[in-house]
Amino acid sequence: MSCSNPIDAAVLADYWLAALAGPEEEAVELHLLDCDPCGARLGEVMALAEGVRRIARQGSLRMIVSDSFLKRVAEAGLRVREYAPPAGGGVQCTVTAEDDFLIARLAADLSGAKRVDLCLCDERGVEQGRMPDIPVQPAAGNVLYQESITWAKAMPSSTMLARLVAFDEAGGERLLGEYTFNHTRSLPGPGAWPPAA
Amino acid sequence: MDIELNDAELVRQIGSGNDREAEAELFRRMAPRVRLYGLRHLRDEQAAQDLTQQVLITTLEALRAGRLREPAKLASFVLGACRMTVLDLRRNAQRKERLLEQFGADLLPPVPWSLPHLDHEQLTRCVQNLKERERSVVVMTFYDEQTSADVSRLLGVSDANVRVIRHRAIHQLRECMGVAA
Repeated sequence: MSCSNPIDAAVLADYWLAALAGPEEEAVELHLLDCDPCGARLGEVMALAEGVRRIARQGSLRMIVSDSFLKRVAEAGLRVREYAPPAGGGVQCTVTAEDDFLIARLAADLSGAKRVDLCLCDERGVEQGRMPDIPVQPAAGNVLYQESITWAKAMPSSTMLARLVAFDEAGGERLLGEYTFNHTRSLPGPGAWPPAA
Repeated sequence: MDIELNDAELVRQIGSGNDREAEAELFRRMAPRVRLYGLRHLRDEQAAQDLTQQVLITTLEALRAGRLREPAKLASFVLGACRMTVLDLRRNAQRKERLLEQFGADLLPPVPWSLPHLDHEQLTRCVQNLKERERSVVVMTFYDEQTSADVSRLLGVSDANVRVIRHRAIHQLRECMGVAA
């Protein structure tokens, strides 16, 4: 059986999220009660939503999160370890086997920033990775960076730098803050990165 | 029985007499669709199953009695029954037992259904490969089903922008997972 007028998967996601207006929702529901291919596609969207939820619960994504996200996580009984170094400062940090999420609260004046990047650097300050154009709330005064807890649990004792940089209209880069994380491994395992070949 | 009957033909066949095969075909055809409606509105597997049974009983009652005057509008009738039953389910849990006794559980077996399988390692890679805003929107949206307005406040972008970002991300995730958009 095929569908002559298939509903876009993103619209089905809106439907699943109850994000459609009344008439649009009714049209989708009428179609779904008459169309198995679109019903199957809705099933795929539901599976995708459940998969994303499951991955999010694992704390293994590197991403920018919000305070309300962390509140929901804590309400679900998951354990959040958070460090909040000041701009230009550092913090001693670790993770334990019981931790589910690892968060860095990076304080910065974000007002006027059109685009903000988060740079992740080694102990010498050499950039190892960059998260371009991260979502920020200018009034928040901080950025919540979630480090992969899976990665952090496997990481030996080491130092990592994070930098928030803003771009002006002309594309000029401006340092908003630099943060040093002195990680001490507290789980059994390697005490240091293997020497470079 | 020809299982290729369209909905209108099926409605007429059920209305013309006690045709258990036609009724079973109606159940086979409509139950998965009603179940999706139930999952969407009730967010609970068992409640969706209850809804499915009650909606199909209501539909069969109406079809047997010839109350559906426009057979081609079966989907509209079922949608109305779904809406009424969601309200009813919240009010009256005991009606189910009475109707099940009247119609028999053999006609209304549980609908075997499960979400399609996903490769979670692949999905993790796909989510991690999204752009930063797309990843945050998708995760925050699906983690606890926040509305566009909630996410827009959190991320400092408009509601409409959140919807655009979410749509783009869903298409990218589906493409990355190897399914058509």
